[in-house]
Amino acid sequence: MTETRSFDLPTPPPEGIPSSTCAPPSVRRTLPTALALSVMLGLLGLADCRPNQDDSGGGFPRAETFYVAGWQWGEPASFNPLLSNPDWPVSSMNLIYEPLLNYNSISGKMEPLLAESYETHDDNVEVTLNPAARWSDGKPVTAWDVTYTFELGQRFKSLNIAPIWQYLTTVRAYNDDGSEASKEPTLGDKYPRRVVFALNLEKKNPLVVLDALQGQRIVPRHSIEPLLQQRGGSLDEFDKLKFDKDVVSSGPYKLFSYSSEKIAVVRDDNYWGNAALHGGKKPVVKYVVHPIYKSNDHFSIALQQGRLDASCTFVPRIWLKAKKGVRSWLDKEPFFLSSSMPMLLINHKHQPLDDVHMRRAMGFAINYKDIRELAVSGYSEPLKPGLILPFGLEQKFFSEEDTKKYGTWFDPAQAKAELKAGGFTPVFGPDGELIETRDKDGKKVPTVYVKSPTGWSDWESIVRIAVRSMRSVGIDARERFVDASLFWNALFEGDFDLIMNTPSAAPSPSKPWSRFETLMTTQDFAPLGEKMYKNMGRFNDPKAPGYVPRIDELLAQIPSIKDDAARTAAYHELNVLFLQLQPDLPLVYRPYAFYEFSSKHWSNMPSAANPYLPPLTPGDRLGTNMLWAIKPVLN
Amino acid sequence: MLKNYPTLKHILGRAGWYFVTFLVAVTINFFLPRLGDANPVDAMMAKASAGLDSASAREKEEAYLKEFGLVQVDDAGHVKRNEQGKPLRTSLFSQFANYLGMSLRGDLGGSILQHPKRVSEIIKTALPWTLALQLPTIVFGWLIGNVLGALAAYKRGVFDKVMYPLALLTSAIPAFCFGILLVYFFGIRLEWFPAAGGYDDGLTPELTRQFIASASYYYILPFLSVFLIVVGGQAIGMRSMCIYELGTDYVKYAKLLGVKENKILFYMFRNAMLPQLTGLALALGTMVGGALITEMIFSYPGLGMAILTAIEGNDYPLITGCTLLVTVTVLIANFGVDILVGFLDPRIKAAQQTGK
Repeated sequence: MTETRSFDLPTPPPEGIPSSTCAPPSVRRTLPTALALSVMLGLLGLADCRPNQDDSGGGFPRAETFYVAGWQWGEPASFNPLLSNPDWPVSSMNLIYEPLLNYNSISGKMEPLLAESYETHDDNVEVTLNPAARWSDGKPVTAWDVTYTFELGQRFKSLNIAPIWQYLTTVRAYNDDGSEASKEPTLGDKYPRRVVFALNLEKKNPLVVLDALQGQRIVPRHSIEPLLQQRGGSLDEFDKLKFDKDVVSSGPYKLFSYSSEKIAVVRDDNYWGNAALHGGKKPVVKYVVHPIYKSNDHFSIALQQGRLDASCTFVPRIWLKAKKGVRSWLDKEPFFLSSSMPMLLINHKHQPLDDVHMRRAMGFAINYKDIRELAVSGYSEPLKPGLILPFGLEQKFFSEEDTKKYGTWFDPAQAKAELKAGGFTPVFGPDGELIETRDKDGKKVPTVYVKSPTGWSDWESIVRIAVRSMRSVGIDARERFVDASLFWNALFEGDFDLIMNTPSAAPSPSKPWSRFETLMTTQDFAPLGEKMYKNMGRFNDPKAPGYVPRIDELLAQIPSIKDDAARTAAYHELNVLFLQLQPDLPLVYRPYAFYEFSSKHWSNMPSAANPYLPPLTPGDRLGTNMLWAIKPVLN
Repeated sequence: MLKNYPTLKHILGRAGWYFVTFLVAVTINFFLPRLGDANPVDAMMAKASAGLDSASAREKEEAYLKEFGLVQVDDAGHVKRNEQGKPLRTSLFSQFANYLGMSLRGDLGGSILQHPKRVSEIIKTALPWTLALQLPTIVFGWLIGNVLGALAAYKRGVFDKVMYPLALLTSAIPAFCFGILLVYFFGIRLEWFPAAGGYDDGLTPELTRQFIASASYYYILPFLSVFLIVVGGQAIGMRSMCIYELGTDYVKYAKLLGVKENKILFYMFRNAMLPQLTGLALALGTMVGGALITEMIFSYPGLGMAILTAIEGNDYPLITGCTLLVTVTVLIANFGVDILVGFLDPRIKAAQQTGK
């Protein structure tokens, strides 16, 4: 004690006390305790996130493991198939649950999965299930499972499958002999395999039904319904189930383990499709592991180091990574196969954007080449005006002639001419900088703000280039980068002048119709301030004087047109309306999901030179099939 | 009654103040994230509305609002509406009352973005990583930095001439910059250490030798990226404190008396350490907030990222849960140091005992 007290007294401490005991006791004791505590806590926490299912331990052997990333960014929370956004690999993956059909975005064909075939009739779509299809508990996948899955959307309006019911009247199970099966499942070995989706003839649209057949994953009635009943039929209560163990599913993999760092699935050797669809072979890959990275650079680094085998993220300047074995669909520009169009949505309820001359002036003003080369690493074919992709499956609906005649190609002189035609006069300062734009009465036109979420760097560069081009011809536009959480609300409520968005991005059988529909439909038209989840720019207000009913007519007709020439003509007409009225400003093409892979550990990955599957990462819909086809690289 | 126990009285007095601070902090933590225009459901709808028509999307939005207690619900469980048919939002104060009630029962609520996970689950898995990264860096960095600083001040000469600029350099480099440099040179160019992650991708966290070896290997770069900076900063602070102490009368007197160098160094160290100790407490208190930048650069597991995503997505329960944790540890650490310094520093102790 004297020791502690004496240190700032003028008298020297007594000699003879070894200095090693001199450290203040409090500090000396806390140190080891604190460290021990941290280690203990560490171990506790680690023990806590051990795999849910038993395994031999020792991790994943590299030669049997495929690493894929980019789908899951946050900590996994739930694998419940009825959530609108469950974690990888339940959400839009075919690893655990499976849809009836698989859409091939290269051939445009639907390939069999749970269903062995389908037929589109005049008033219905009929699907026949594969007789070999089984749930993981050995029970057959029946037509009752299919009707059950779809009818869940009638019971619960918040399910992703619910909106399909505006296009359907009934979904019924039929026996092989053509008689209607009982509504409730019956005991015994016999079960119906045919399902008839009866179209709502007032809103006839087989395209969206096909979208649903390849998008909706079928759930097992005999496992889901009892769980739902136990919770009093409440979906809110059911949603709290995590589905992370003892899950009945039909897919080739099962959840193996998950933590905040990764999610892993393991091969189910009893998968029904091995015999029925893959010639008796098992997938080559035993584990598919999805690491969760926190920053975009890690995908690129991990691919180059061979720690990641495939990714669906944006990897800049991919040609520099080729020598490390990182590849994409194509080995030269544009490297990827585009299927979507990032664009600026225009608010038609805001001045001066309600004026078609102003919108077209914007269309002529934007330097699309700069956007393609500077903002997206050249990962895009050169943009051609309109809403139809000028390549791939949509090419047959594309008319070069129409876009030449009506389209807004980059041309500053034309942009200035359009401004003049609309009575707009730009006022430039002595330094050549735009001060303001004036309308025909000489009044200042409100500044047009372009909204985009802060930190989405590729979108930020796109917006900067667009704003710079618009200002240089005399349109008073400015960037407005907002917090992502405010961005979405602004988008749906129409609180913007121009806003970045990629409408209806995922490739599906209904393209390009669904792209037009998302941007131009007037269904559920709502004023600014109320939410609209389609046509957020409030284009073509049915109650306003300039309403063009032809657009809604064409949107309603196209899905059920059977004749190819008539359908192409209808698409041409719709696209010309888009070109003339310029309701929105497409800026560049982009893949729905990027596709990069490393050739270090696995070979025979699909690519443009070896296109046996579309550019999809394994697990992502049809991309799942590569798990049977790739080969380990022997080192 | 407490007059005869001035120390106890002091401790109780401090505790009272800390409790008041705690209440104020909890209130601010609750209201601040909720004052903005956005709410978590908007961000969720961005994804959830894909493919839905506007009417079903609106219905879905209401279902979410109801689930997270953001709209008023009548006895039958239906959403209450105003004249225009819009759902009535729950008032902030009733949310606050609900929150206080739950907190008292030890329930931090459910995360919104990671629905249906509980906030306590998220904290429980992330916290050990954060502590394992932060605690040793802070404690060792503090210790070594202080010893180096004291030595430099006392020894001067070559040691100081080398140590001081080095310490200035490491403490002046921003943590993110230093981390990126480490990753670039040792993770990517030389490939001596892994560039990202907490352990090998091929392993699952469990108590095996293989896993612990891997976790330790992956630990080195993130550890160094913070450790060297802490050492530098502490050394500079300690060095100037010690130079000041060297000029004081007691050191001169001790030298004149011929007291051993180690002993003088130790006394000096002890006195100079007092302000450093307060700094240590603050660092230990805030450490549960996570080393966000380190976590991002190394994709290292931890709480920092959870807090960031919670704030970005307005995940109110997770934000409040994490800030509550930070508040509590900061207050406890400060309280501890307050008391500890009182015991260690007789000047403060004297002031306490006279009640001033």
